[in-house]
Amino acid sequence: MAITRRSLAKGAAVAIPAVVAVNMLGTKFLGAQSGDFEDDIDVLNYALTLEYLEAEFYRQGNGAGLLEGLEAEYLSQVGADENVHVYSLKSVIQTLGADPVDPPCVDFGPAFGSRESFLETAYVFENLGVQAYLGAAGFITDKSILQAAAGIYGVEARHAAVIGNLLDKPAEGGVYMGAFETPLPRSEVLAAATPFLGGDNCKIALS
Amino acid sequence: MPHGISPEPLFGGQPVLDFKSGVSRRSFLRGAAVVGVGSSLALGGLTSLASPAGAATMGSGGSDDASDIDILNYALTLEYLESDFYDRGLAAGILSGRDLELVAPIAVHEAAHVEALLATLQSLGETPVSKPNFQYPDGTFGDRDTFLGTAQRFEEFGVSAYHGQVAKVDNYDILAAAASIAGVESRHAAILSQLTGRRPFPGPFEYPAPMSVILQAAGGFIAGGA
Repeated sequence: MAITRRSLAKGAAVAIPAVVAVNMLGTKFLGAQSGDFEDDIDVLNYALTLEYLEAEFYRQGNGAGLLEGLEAEYLSQVGADENVHVYSLKSVIQTLGADPVDPPCVDFGPAFGSRESFLETAYVFENLGVQAYLGAAGFITDKSILQAAAGIYGVEARHAAVIGNLLDKPAEGGVYMGAFETPLPRSEVLAAATPFLGGDNCKIALS
Repeated sequence: MPHGISPEPLFGGQPVLDFKSGVSRRSFLRGAAVVGVGSSLALGGLTSLASPAGAATMGSGGSDDASDIDILNYALTLEYLESDFYDRGLAAGILSGRDLELVAPIAVHEAAHVEALLATLQSLGETPVSKPNFQYPDGTFGDRDTFLGTAQRFEEFGVSAYHGQVAKVDNYDILAAAASIAGVESRHAAILSQLTGRRPFPGPFEYPAPMSVILQAAGGFIAGGA
C-alpha cells in the first residue's frame, strides 16, 4: 500500500480510508502544496538555502558577543549543528551529481543589537526550519535522504525548544508547539525568510 | 557521544511493562522478532557509531519486514509507556515552578500521541496493541532529579525509536503523522536535557535506533520477557 510521493504531490486519491487522514490530525505532509517540489534535489537545495541562512545567522550572532556562559555554549552548539547541515546537504547534492544552490545574500538587520533580539530571531528561524522540513519531507522519495532530512528536522526542533526556553517563553505555544508539529508549504516558508534575503547591505553567506 | 542514548538500560533494567495478554506482547514484539532482538547490538556498541552515515546505515539497515501496522503498534506501546510515566510522575507532586510548567504539557502530548495512534490503527481496521501494565523501580517518582533524569533518557529513546522507523514506513500519511510526533519528542528530549544539566544538542542529526536496540533495552522492562 505504498503511497508514492508523486501521488501525494499531485493530490491523487490515497489508498487509505479518509477517516485516517482526519485522524492524522491535519498534520499530513499535504500541509505542503501540490507541486511545491520537483524532485529530491529540489528539496535538498531548498533545505540547503535555509541552512545557509541559519549558519550565517549564527556565525554573525555568535560573533557579536551578546551571550555568556551556558547560553553562549548552547548557541555555539546550535551554530555548529547548522554548519554540519550545510556541509552534509551540499555533499549529498554533489554526490547525486547535481549542483548545490549558491549561498544566499543575507542581511539580518538589527537582529544582533541585543541578546533578546538575537535569540528572538533565532527562535523564529528554528521554528520555521522545523515547519519547512516537515512540509518538504513528503516530497522526498529516496529513503536515505528522508532519513537524513528527518534527522536534521528533529535537531531543529531541539534548537527551537531550548531557545524558546532561554527566552522564558510559555511552555505550550512557546517552547512546545502542541502535541504535533505543523508543516508549512514552501511559499510560506520563503515569505517568512524573504526579509532576511537580499537588500543593499546583504552579505553572501559563507559556504 | 554522537547521540543522547545512554548505554545503561532504562529503569535500571527492571521490568516496568507487563502486557495483559500474550497476544499483545507478541504483537509488540513481532517487530523485534523480525529484526532479531537479542541477537546482536549491545547498547554499548552504539556509542562507537560516531558518524551520521553510520547512524543512517544502522537505522535503515536490517529487515524491512516490520509492516506499517507493526510500526504503529510499536510506537503506540512506547507512547502508552511515556503517557503512563508522566501521569504518575506528575501525580507524585514533586515538581514545581518552571519544571512543572515545562513537564505538564509533555504528559498532555504523550496522551494525545496515544489517542492519535489508537485512532489511526482503528481507522485502518487493525486492533491496536492493548495498554500494558507498568511498574517502575522504587523511587522513580521519589524526587525531582530521579524523575526528570529518567524522563530525559526515556525521551532520547523515544526520539531514536521514531527515527529508526523513518525509512521503513511505506505509507506517507502514516509517515507524516509519525514525523509530526517525532519532532515533539525531540523538543521534550532537549528540554529535559536542559533541565537535568545534560546536553540538549547531542549531535547534528537525530540518532535512528533500530527496533532491535530499543526493544533490547526495553526488554528488561517487559514483564514476562520476550
